[in-house]
Amino acid sequence: MKLVEMRGITKVYPDGVVALKGVDFEVSEGEIHGLLGENGAGKTTLMRILYGEIKQTSGEIIFSGKAVSFKGPWDSMRSGISMVYQKFSLVPTISVIENFYLYLSSFQRGVGIEEVRRRAEEMMERLKFRVPLEANVEDLAVGVQQRVEIIKVLLSKPKLIIFDEPTSVLTPIESRELFRTLRELKEDGITIIFITHKLKEVKEITDRVTILRKGERVGTYETPSVSEEELAIMMVGRGIVPTKRSVSSPGREVMRVEDLWVRDDRGLNAVKGVSFELHEGEILGIAGVQGNGQLELAEALAGVRRAERGRIIMDGRDITDLPAEARYREGLAYIPDSRAVGLVLEMNLMENSILTSLRDFLGRGGRIIWPLASDRAREVIERFNIVGSLRSQVKYLSGGNQQRLLVGREIIKAPKVLIVSEPTQGLDVAATEFIRSTLLKFREEGRSIILISSDLDEIFELCDRIAVIYEGKFVGIGRNEDLTLERLGLLMGGVNA
Amino acid sequence: MRKIVLEVSLSIILSFLIGYIMLILMGYDATRVFSIVIREGLSNPTYLMMRSTPLILTALAFSIPSSVGVFNIGGEGQFYLGALASLIIAYTTGNSLLSTITGMAAGGLLSALIAVIKVKRGVNEVVTSIMFNWMIYFSLLYLISTYLFDPLMPYQSVSVPKNARIEYLTIQSVSIPMIFPIAVLTSLAMYFLMYHSALGYRMRVVGISPKAARYAGFDPESSIIISMIIGGAMSGLGGSLLILGHTHTIDSTMSGLYGMGFAGIGAGLLGRNNPIGIIFSSIFLSMLLIGGEAAELRARVPTELADTLIGMIVIVLSAPYIVRILRVRR
Repeated sequence: MKLVEMRGITKVYPDGVVALKGVDFEVSEGEIHGLLGENGAGKTTLMRILYGEIKQTSGEIIFSGKAVSFKGPWDSMRSGISMVYQKFSLVPTISVIENFYLYLSSFQRGVGIEEVRRRAEEMMERLKFRVPLEANVEDLAVGVQQRVEIIKVLLSKPKLIIFDEPTSVLTPIESRELFRTLRELKEDGITIIFITHKLKEVKEITDRVTILRKGERVGTYETPSVSEEELAIMMVGRGIVPTKRSVSSPGREVMRVEDLWVRDDRGLNAVKGVSFELHEGEILGIAGVQGNGQLELAEALAGVRRAERGRIIMDGRDITDLPAEARYREGLAYIPDSRAVGLVLEMNLMENSILTSLRDFLGRGGRIIWPLASDRAREVIERFNIVGSLRSQVKYLSGGNQQRLLVGREIIKAPKVLIVSEPTQGLDVAATEFIRSTLLKFREEGRSIILISSDLDEIFELCDRIAVIYEGKFVGIGRNEDLTLERLGLLMGGVNA
Repeated sequence: MRKIVLEVSLSIILSFLIGYIMLILMGYDATRVFSIVIREGLSNPTYLMMRSTPLILTALAFSIPSSVGVFNIGGEGQFYLGALASLIIAYTTGNSLLSTITGMAAGGLLSALIAVIKVKRGVNEVVTSIMFNWMIYFSLLYLISTYLFDPLMPYQSVSVPKNARIEYLTIQSVSIPMIFPIAVLTSLAMYFLMYHSALGYRMRVVGISPKAARYAGFDPESSIIISMIIGGAMSGLGGSLLILGHTHTIDSTMSGLYGMGFAGIGAGLLGRNNPIGIIFSSIFLSMLLIGGEAAELRARVPTELADTLIGMIVIVLSAPYIVRILRVRR
């Protein structure tokens, strides 16, 4: 029997972007249904419409055999639809049980906190895992927070749970645990929609899969009947050609880091005694689940954040005490993980293209020579295929174009050492490939890159050597060829296998 | 650029409309009042330029720190201090250049103090600015009525000597108070500073995105302090030019100085924090103020009319921001 039927769903956003074009979508009762597509394909938009969070421009929704038009999430929750968000909707500063109460009391009047506690205990019993009910949410690991979120939505006894890219924040081990839980939920008769852009996950967990591309439905299939390759072609519209990395022997040492300690914004040690060296023509990967000290390490290397202890030596020169601007002049470049940090979104493309090399564009008396800056901007636009004009504000560029600008601006300076963090996060396949091949080409020119990424495919595709960071320490470092995905996954999860 | 001009014109038209309806509700002949305001506001170009001059400078005093993300509400106090310092130096030395420089320095020093307290001690600049505004206001009242009053005309301070005054330039029967071109040139210099110099670039980056500034290696603290010093100097220069080129003295109730710093906030907002826009917005607001005074005499409209209109323009100007926020929410 069909639980969800969405017919001819079209969504046009107020700014004129067409997110969905007449999409049909069906989910049968009791199945795990995958919703596969790239970033921007319209997966999340479709689900937010089902959940009542936004309204479709046209099209109809039938839930449990009845035509519905939800006024908001509280309305759809009453009908038995729940959503587990990618970024959880928990209040970090209050306890788990208080979060449960807050959630349940928002649409079920007259529920007492003791009643909530009883139901939560019952639920944990059935799922065979526990979460600390009295702990504050922000003190829990991300994997545990997700379990909290799952129990939370189960408290409302939903018929359907939508999971929005649930594995994006998890280690491989935590993902496996999640899949076990999903199967148990299915046995209890709960229908699940699983949003993802990872092909392996579709194959592993779903019964059926619907593929979206650029706001249109490509098709719905029984999962066992389609291969990963076929799914990939349907998702992207063409086959994926993995970028080829040539094996090369690294050159002389260009950077050396000794016993580096760095504190985070709260004053706690985030990087605890990291040491490594980097060679000419080498890409050193730093893998890890986000939030294990990567940001602090990158910032300390770039000079944006002060190192508590340790030394950073570049080209034989101690740069530990140099501020960021001076390091950039010495041939270091840094591409941060957030485009809102690396770019000034409310300035135009030309102004942004000189952000990290301002001094190269100055005339007498600190005057900016704008013609020089516009030449540079044009060069970046041309070499990195950016769609946008010199005078257009960067915030109006697409994510992919912003990232090309950010990466292009730094690479065009031909730095000796490039520190780059999550360079392809949130990009579509074409932009991802472009960025990755750009980085590889840069390496072919004999330059050195420190690549910080939580995407293991990216790490294996690009890096010569790989280090794993866990709770601020390197828990393993080795050559690409000597490491396996499984071992890396275990190290990232803190299991020293 | 075109969008900004459109937004500003729309907000002016809308606020005029609201003012018009208000006047009708209050029982006035609104059409007549408006025609008086505009006609009288523009009737004397020399006087209009005179009145616009200090406003241009206090608007810059607000706008330059504002583009770095600092709310300089202390333009009022910096303006008083500039006027006082300028008066004393002009009176004692008779040198207008020295007097102007001292006025700027006094304003800049005061705002530097506010900025340093903010950066080093984390005290909100609005709080310290307002405290300084009142401290200086009452100190000035005391000084003028106790030490600096003119023995022949005790309701006002001693006057700027003739040789230190900034005079008029007459071109084809229009006499231009020289303080006006000084203000306009200063505004153009500020435009150049903000959009064509490394210092201005850094300040703008700090103002728009402190995170990006930190990443680029720009020091937000020094940008904040420098922008405040420049702002304070602008206000000080405003007070100085008012004394040297227009009033030549401070009356013992300080009515000639009062409110100029606050009016500058409106002019800065209307000019969208752009030094060139500020020249026009200051002239426009001065026209409203002059016209409003005329309307008070001729149509017995309360003097607050002009203030209300200006207030309305500022409120309506912020409407696009509200629309933008609502749009993002949807």
